[in-house]
Amino acid sequence: MRSNNVLGFVFAGTLDDKIPELSASRTTASIPVGGKYRLIDFVLSNMSNSGINNVGIVAKSNFLSLMDHVGSGSAYDLSKRRSNLTILPPYGGKTFSNYVETIYNMHGYIENSREEYVLITPGNIVTNFDYSTVFDFHSKNDADITLVYKKWVVPSGYEHPVTIDADKNGKVEQIFIKPDTGCEEVNHFCGTVLIKKSLLMEEIRNALSLNQLDIKRILQNAVGRLKVYAYENKGYCAAISSINDYFEFNMDLMKKEVRDELFNPKRPIYTKVRDDAPSKYGLTSSVKNSIIAQGCVIDGEVENCVLSKGVYVGEGAKISNCIVMQDTKIGCNTNLNYIIIDKDVTIKDDRSLMGFDSYPIYIAKKSVV
Amino acid sequence: MFPKQEVVAMLLAGGQGSRLGVLTKKLAKPAVPFGGKYRIIDFPLSNCVNSGIEAVGILTQYQPLILNEYIGNGQPWDLDGMHSGVNCLSPYQAVDGADWYSGTANAIYQNINYIERYDPEYVVILSGDHIYKMDYNKMLEFHKDKNAACTIAVIDVPLEEASRFGILNTYENGEIYEFDEKPEHPKSTNASMGIYIFSWKELKKYLTEDDAKEASSHDFGKDVLPAMLNAGERMFAYPFEGYWKDVGTIDSLWEANMDLLDPNVTLDLKDIYSRNPMMPPHYVSSEANIQNSLVADGCNVYGNLEFSILFAGVTIGKNATVNSSIIMPGAVIEDGAVVQYAIVAENTVIGKNAVVGEKPENAEDKDNWGITVIGANTTIADNTVVKANQMIDSETEVTGNEK
Repeated sequence: MRSNNVLGFVFAGTLDDKIPELSASRTTASIPVGGKYRLIDFVLSNMSNSGINNVGIVAKSNFLSLMDHVGSGSAYDLSKRRSNLTILPPYGGKTFSNYVETIYNMHGYIENSREEYVLITPGNIVTNFDYSTVFDFHSKNDADITLVYKKWVVPSGYEHPVTIDADKNGKVEQIFIKPDTGCEEVNHFCGTVLIKKSLLMEEIRNALSLNQLDIKRILQNAVGRLKVYAYENKGYCAAISSINDYFEFNMDLMKKEVRDELFNPKRPIYTKVRDDAPSKYGLTSSVKNSIIAQGCVIDGEVENCVLSKGVYVGEGAKISNCIVMQDTKIGCNTNLNYIIIDKDVTIKDDRSLMGFDSYPIYIAKKSVV
Repeated sequence: MFPKQEVVAMLLAGGQGSRLGVLTKKLAKPAVPFGGKYRIIDFPLSNCVNSGIEAVGILTQYQPLILNEYIGNGQPWDLDGMHSGVNCLSPYQAVDGADWYSGTANAIYQNINYIERYDPEYVVILSGDHIYKMDYNKMLEFHKDKNAACTIAVIDVPLEEASRFGILNTYENGEIYEFDEKPEHPKSTNASMGIYIFSWKELKKYLTEDDAKEASSHDFGKDVLPAMLNAGERMFAYPFEGYWKDVGTIDSLWEANMDLLDPNVTLDLKDIYSRNPMMPPHYVSSEANIQNSLVADGCNVYGNLEFSILFAGVTIGKNATVNSSIIMPGAVIEDGAVVQYAIVAENTVIGKNAVVGEKPENAEDKDNWGITVIGANTTIADNTVVKANQMIDSETEVTGNEK
């Protein structure tokens, strides 16, 4: 494969603080989405499907669920003689407080890998994307650095978004940090970068010697001095930066065109499997416009919802516009609207809970309502 | 050198299953899809793992490709140990020639080497065409308690059905004194489930003796078990309580699937393992109606579904109706089509407004009513009618109302 000279380097904890509810017990990359996935499944599947065989995941904190989910990496075909997945937690009393220090502290891992390039990406991006197209673009332009961007209105959780101005060939002319973008569509750089490992480490060492700890500034300073190019991800993409983004993305899955693109059978999205039986619809069930994972038992009414593995919906329950994570039990004659319900929650019989489109209510893991 | 295993299981999976017709044209019976995401063999394999049996030999002969591919390294069933696990054992060529497996006993006889590597005390013989959940450990305890040479699991069947089964007549303590294969006037209702535990030393002796007999058909039921009984070996019937169904016919396969939808049936799918397809969760549209059905990952349901089972990646089009049917992986039921009391095999397309199968109460010829079966990779053209009790071959195209 074309990209097997590329090391994958994933930041699992991107924007942890922007989604405090969902990342209370886990890092951003292991937030459950789309009924049976975790956010990191998309990045890891894309890497595996693009021929990237060696992937390191930087896990800053709260990474137990991440480690449990990705395991050895075999679900993504990343646990073979010629492929590998490594979780990189902080060590030796060092903290991973910013990207520059983190990358520096991981220099041993990065420099020891046999690949020549490194693709750095955050773990909160949901897309089905062939990274080898970035590699080809990078090689064709003889670029030093290639930034992947998405043309859209910047998602609400990005407080200091990076936007790019590039010429028609993709050569970056200017990088802006925290511009006043409002509701305009801009070329938003969400953190995916392709660079030669040797150049990365050189830039990081130089930056540290100048006490420059902001990776965005380093990129900004590279424009003009190095050949910096920008590559557009033209496909469907979501960057989960807030609970509203999270809600919207899950609801986007009701659209056929989104599902067809995201779950392209030629580039499957892999995940850790669980042995759930097919979902069982009872005689009193009524399900409309919903995404349902396996292992569910549905006896109630469900509309515009995403139900994860092993969810139970009791008779007479009416749930609409809800995202329900795995193994949650929703009792009989309940009425729920615009609720995000975390794992292993019990909603007892006859309860009513209402959120709103722009303000979905969140119910924490293992709660009993 | 292999670490010793107390028990080795041998799973007979080589039969054609000709009574399943087009469903087993390109695959062995144990590989026939069942229950929305499983294949029949998942049941005995999961039972083995859940009973702590770590070495399983699968005897394959008829159309083994899909079965071999499905079993693979055995990882979904935890049967991928370093020194144990699952192996598909096909007939082979040796210095003194090559032989197909001429009978169930011969299949085991030809694989004595495989069994001896583990130096087992007991061998469990299973068949790959039954749906049930069973702890073989309990049966093994019973076998040890009775100090038996052979223990056969039996299930209590209604007296009027007993003449369809192999009946075991026993003394009060469970010791078998007579085999009665499909008796006209059954003396008991203990039907053999095709699950045997043998003490390996005795089994090896009788297999070797049986192989030397020219007239033998080398079958457990017909030759080896009667020979052991005649020789006065201690043989016991182990009574099993719970769900058990032989799915060797179209009707019983359909019934066993429908049993999964019946709240009064005790079979559940917990702890049955299978290979999982890498597909997203299924989608149910605003126009869809689903009642009392099982739906697997990757399906897209735009139509009406009642009393049915959808395997992974099935599409049900708008205004299509699927009732009391089993739709296997990747099949497409196009808009407006009606599928009733049918089994539609993998990747088959039922065209727009086509009608497949009939409700028993609506059939013209009620005496000849039966489940309709459409083979794999077949196309039923738009507006075509396929009546009850028809079996359409795989990889064909059916147009017009000729059937």
